Amino acid sequence: MVNAESIKRWLIKAAPRIIKATMKGFFWFVLLYLVPMLILSISGIPVNLFPDYIRLLGAFATITVFFVVAAELFSKTVFQHAFNMAKAIVLMVFFVYSLNGGFLTANFGAINVTVDLRVYLAMVLTINFLGLTKSALQALNFLSERTETSQPIKRE
Amino acid sequence: MKQAIRALSIATTVLWILLLLFSATSIYSALKLDFGFGEPGASVSNEVLTMSLPFYIDNGGFYDVSDLNVTTNISNHDGTLISNSTTLVPLISRGSRVDKAHNISIRMNEMISKDLTSLLFEDSDFDIDMFLTLKYAHAIPLQLSSNMTLPWGAPLANLSIGEPSFIPINLTHFRVVTPISFENHSFFALNGAITLELIDDLDQSVGSGATDISVPPMNGCNTQVEMVIRSDARTPTEARVYFETSAFSIGPVVTPLG
Repeated sequence: MVNAESIKRWLIKAAPRIIKATMKGFFWFVLLYLVPMLILSISGIPVNLFPDYIRLLGAFATITVFFVVAAELFSKTVFQHAFNMAKAIVLMVFFVYSLNGGFLTANFGAINVTVDLRVYLAMVLTINFLGLTKSALQALNFLSERTETSQPIKRE
Repeated sequence: MKQAIRALSIATTVLWILLLLFSATSIYSALKLDFGFGEPGASVSNEVLTMSLPFYIDNGGFYDVSDLNVTTNISNHDGTLISNSTTLVPLISRGSRVDKAHNISIRMNEMISKDLTSLLFEDSDFDIDMFLTLKYAHAIPLQLSSNMTLPWGAPLANLSIGEPSFIPINLTHFRVVTPISFENHSFFALNGAITLELIDDLDQSVGSGATDISVPPMNGCNTQVEMVIRSDARTPTEARVYFETSAFSIGPVVTPLG
């Protein structure tokens, strides 16, 4: 039976995690969205000319913040690593989509511009793949450690 | 396993930092690239028309620009390729400036051999495809392309050969004066000579004469070719005109008389 006392106890137990997750989420939002936008506007780049890329920057920040918050809320559980793995996979798909498979095109009047970012995309995907591998190893390590600690000690 | 995880964490962090640095400096360097165009020029020599477009690129960024290739394809409205010109700049190092000119050459003799002689007599439009490719920071290829239409002015527009007038010189010879007119709609001057040959109904030459011409761009030319023929020559039925200029040589342009 759920009563006020148990909710209070759960809140006291979960509060540090929630606060930490909120702070981390805010930090990553500032770092991945507000700072780049500030740099773009200070450096005089006409941000209004690239609404699609600004939207993608927002999407990137949202994805990252969501997974950072989720991983923090589920820290010290296997779900933390599962969320980190999911983040790496989702970001890989996101980068392939947002960089249009490595070929970006834009039209400025009669001039057509094509940028081949396949090398850049390969670098991004490699780093994400390393992140995915790290998270998989962390999950494996977490599960093996838990198995070891829950194993009953054999008495001779 | 913990050591592997730690190594991967360090590698991922370092690689993310390097990638972010590369991204930031690339964008900053791209903004530091300055380029511009000079005054375009045109010249004619050895039957080759050359349009020159000077340009400069000032690379004030952190990365080299390499394999810069400017290509221009000029084709007639029916798709026949008239000119293909390429300018290559192998390397523009960081902090350096390159001044170069993109020369678009049109070989008039090739144009005539491709059965495009109508372009000498009729104004038209050329389709121009421009491509600019380069490699930024030796890693990011970039291509700019553009299509445009350029009006082409015929150098011998409205060519007209008038009726010859026969003026007796003596009992045995006539002086024949044939008016020739045309408009030079092109961007180049026509300097050279016109040779006129009058042909009779038996396809025999009655006589021929030549005159020098010097027609500036966008100007008309009203001239006449004089020749002396025998008084017993047959009546000419057609005129054959030959143009020998610094831009092109063409002939005969056959026009019936009478």
